[in-house]
Amino acid sequence: MEEENDLSISQTISAKTLNPRSQKKHAAMIERLSNLHQSRLNQFISRRSDADSSAPFESTQAFLNRFADSKRSIESELDRLRFISNDLESNPQLKSDLEKLSIAIADLEKLVAENSYFLPSYEVRSTLKAIAELKESLESVNLKLVPRKKFSFRNKPAKKDPANAVKESEISAKESDFPVKGGDDAASAEKSRFETRDSPGFRNEVGAVLVKQFEGFESGDFTLSNLESCEIRLKGRLRALFVHRLKNCRVFVGPVLGSILIEEAEGCLFMLASHQIRIHHAKATDFYLRVRSRPIIEDCSSVRFAPYLLVYEGIEEELRESGLAEDTGNWANVDDFRWLRAVQSPNWCILPKEEQVSTVNVSDLEKQQ
Amino acid sequence: MGLLSIIRKIKRKEKEMRILMVGLDNSGKTTIVLRINGEDTSVISPTLGFNIKTIKYQRYTLNIWDVGGQRTIRSYWRNYFEQTDGLVWVVDSSDVRRLDDCKMELDNLLKEERLSGASLLILANKQDIQGALTPDEIAKVLNLDAMDKTRHWEIVGCSAYTGEGLLEGFDWMVQDIASRIYVLN
Repeated sequence: MEEENDLSISQTISAKTLNPRSQKKHAAMIERLSNLHQSRLNQFISRRSDADSSAPFESTQAFLNRFADSKRSIESELDRLRFISNDLESNPQLKSDLEKLSIAIADLEKLVAENSYFLPSYEVRSTLKAIAELKESLESVNLKLVPRKKFSFRNKPAKKDPANAVKESEISAKESDFPVKGGDDAASAEKSRFETRDSPGFRNEVGAVLVKQFEGFESGDFTLSNLESCEIRLKGRLRALFVHRLKNCRVFVGPVLGSILIEEAEGCLFMLASHQIRIHHAKATDFYLRVRSRPIIEDCSSVRFAPYLLVYEGIEEELRESGLAEDTGNWANVDDFRWLRAVQSPNWCILPKEEQVSTVNVSDLEKQQ
Repeated sequence: MGLLSIIRKIKRKEKEMRILMVGLDNSGKTTIVLRINGEDTSVISPTLGFNIKTIKYQRYTLNIWDVGGQRTIRSYWRNYFEQTDGLVWVVDSSDVRRLDDCKMELDNLLKEERLSGASLLILANKQDIQGALTPDEIAKVLNLDAMDKTRHWEIVGCSAYTGEGLLEGFDWMVQDIASRIYVLN
């Protein structure tokens, strides 16, 4: 507002004062302004005519044409793959072809998401349905051509073999790739001093079965950190759980009264019950949850969700005492902080019933320890 | 200065204070606000966006802005800096691993000119959890003693779960803001 006042004041001054130099300046300014106005008008008109002549800008028809084109090409590719040779050996290209298709479908989905703000809701729905169908047929082709590895439920910890050792060195190499967090030396020295005073937890293990029974009404927090190919069973009630850097692990946890924070998990299975669950940087991981509020994911991909299926002696009572007796159904209400749009996030989905594990009973498993 | 004095006068009449609650995700910001307001804290989803609560506190009206702390939405914090009287920085005292993250975000916040006049209350939350760091330890890690001498700050241990320490912290902050803004009363 003040700027406006200044402007009008300066205008009246230059108009009133008879200084020829400032008058000239004033005239020049007026001319510049009118030029600017004219050029804006021209731009506006040209943009209007563009829009009228079927330009891609916010045109439903243009979008639908584009959508139909890519859909058709994906379908013909699918048909081609369906009828070619059945075995992988004779067609090494197959896998990459399938991957390309899945990327094309994801691109199509993105296209819909980006344009959804101006599309009529019917078009959004019908295109999303078309995408779902494409995904389904891709999945069926996938199943037919590349048989899925059977999921099996092991009780024995993975043995350390040479292949595993190689993997380990890969991991440590990867870890050094992680950027070192900022902060000055004094602070990090201070921090490391506190990290020596670790909270209870399982850390830095490979291929182990880790079992812990929490006794008493109120336990503290617990940490799972840097574990690979482990099976972890935490029974009893605890207050908070921190999970950091897990790979190929299976994690079964009783009721957590406070919150669970997960960072960096890959190829894992989690069975968790808690009031709040936050998941960061997870990929290719399945979560079986009972949670009072909406679970959230951030920077995740290929994570799937299912209801909690853990059983051991006394778990019902523990769940009740922790306010987790009933399944609120919130395990399916996932908020993706990387996908703040009306359409379903491509980063997570619900785990189909036929792929879920059956109820897991860890009552007597601790005796193996 | 003219505008500032007008704002001060308006505020003096209504005795309003604007409080901004920030901190890393999972630190308990929303739970603290609901607990102070005497609401149910058993079902709280991680905050997507922000909540505003208006609370009568002593003789004042607190407008509390509780802003989500997930990494993706931290960049939006700055949209809420304007005219903040009190800044509440909430720390999860049991999350030792992310304390350096916590320090870095707080340092960034305190560089912000628009917050330079705000009183700073640091709540070392989750003191009820066994093994949580004490407020003194948190103060050391966050290096609070090295803060700008003009800043009014205080660190208080609390638990949003039991409610302990919350009133103590807010009492300090409200008194501190009142003594700066409502000196005439």
